[in-house]
Amino acid sequence: MTTLAFLVALFLLANLVVALIAAARGPTSADRMLMALLFGTTGTGILVLLSATGMGTALVDVALVLALLAAISGIAFAKRAWQAEENGHD
Amino acid sequence: MKRSLLLRGAAFALLWWVLSEGRGDGWLLGSAAVIAASWASLKLAPPAPPHLRLTALPGFLRFFLWQSLAGGVQVAALACRGRAALRPGFVELSLALPPGAPRLFFAGILGLMPGTLGVALDDARLRLHVLDTRLPALAEARALEAAIGRLFGVAP
Amino acid sequence: MIEWLSMGLLLVGAGFFFAGTLGLLRFPDVYSRLHALAKADNLGLGCVLAGLALTADSLAAALKLLLIWPLALAASAAVSFAIARRAQALGIAPWRREERQE
Repeated sequence: MTTLAFLVALFLLANLVVALIAAARGPTSADRMLMALLFGTTGTGILVLLSATGMGTALVDVALVLALLAAISGIAFAKRAWQAEENGHD
Repeated sequence: MKRSLLLRGAAFALLWWVLSEGRGDGWLLGSAAVIAASWASLKLAPPAPPHLRLTALPGFLRFFLWQSLAGGVQVAALACRGRAALRPGFVELSLALPPGAPRLFFAGILGLMPGTLGVALDDARLRLHVLDTRLPALAEARALEAAIGRLFGVAP
Repeated sequence: MIEWLSMGLLLVGAGFFFAGTLGLLRFPDVYSRLHALAKADNLGLGCVLAGLALTADSLAAALKLLLIWPLALAASAAVSFAIARRAQALGIAPWRREERQE
């Protein structure tokens, strides 16, 4: 179980690296914004898996805070984009 | 007001129990946190209609879990077949949900459902991006709209 | 038994994460890539969290793991809607396949 969790964490890390490179290459600036999504989901996944490999249950708290920050900043970002568009400052 | 205070207090107490992983020695600090959180939440987000209906929550969760599983499986299959399998395009949808929380909730959550992604919302029209214009994305969006309407207790 | 179920869920989760990355690499425009990330990666995270929650030490610890999922979902839903909206405001047209004889 511990070994499997570690292997899956490594696999997710490889996925994250490949996806980050692909997103950073673009071609549009909207593609580059996908990187924010990747850290929110794959990043939390890696953290919880590492906590299951005996690196400390505190990593679950780190993952929880990361997901919470991703949610708050994501909603703030969506709301901001929204209001800027409504006021015509887009 | 009293009912929302009790409900929110209970929710925050449950949250504390989960966050402290069921340990009993932190409840002194925990009670202070629960009281402070309930007070702040009533101050910052006073109860206003439409209210979430707790009785409709299990049904909505089942619908949501099933649909997000279907969405994940569908998009995974499409990813394996590559771009040749895609027939993407924009679709317009006129909304029946009232403005405010239900409508925003709908626009956001569509991105987690099979084949659809909310793109732009103005007045009562929502523009969707669909992965395959031959699939019945509109019907699924309508089903989600109805489920959210039940969750908020508003007729869509 | 629970151990096997948990391991299965971890593997299925890894599969969905792989599908998300594959979609990101193979889909032609930002809108379809958003579909891949928002749906496949989130389901992958859900499977991983459920798998770990099955073998958690206590009920509260399991619920704590599961609590991460709605937060990640809210983040993805908000961010992907905002990105799609922004892409449209930037005038990025969705990719269309060239019509050939069908």
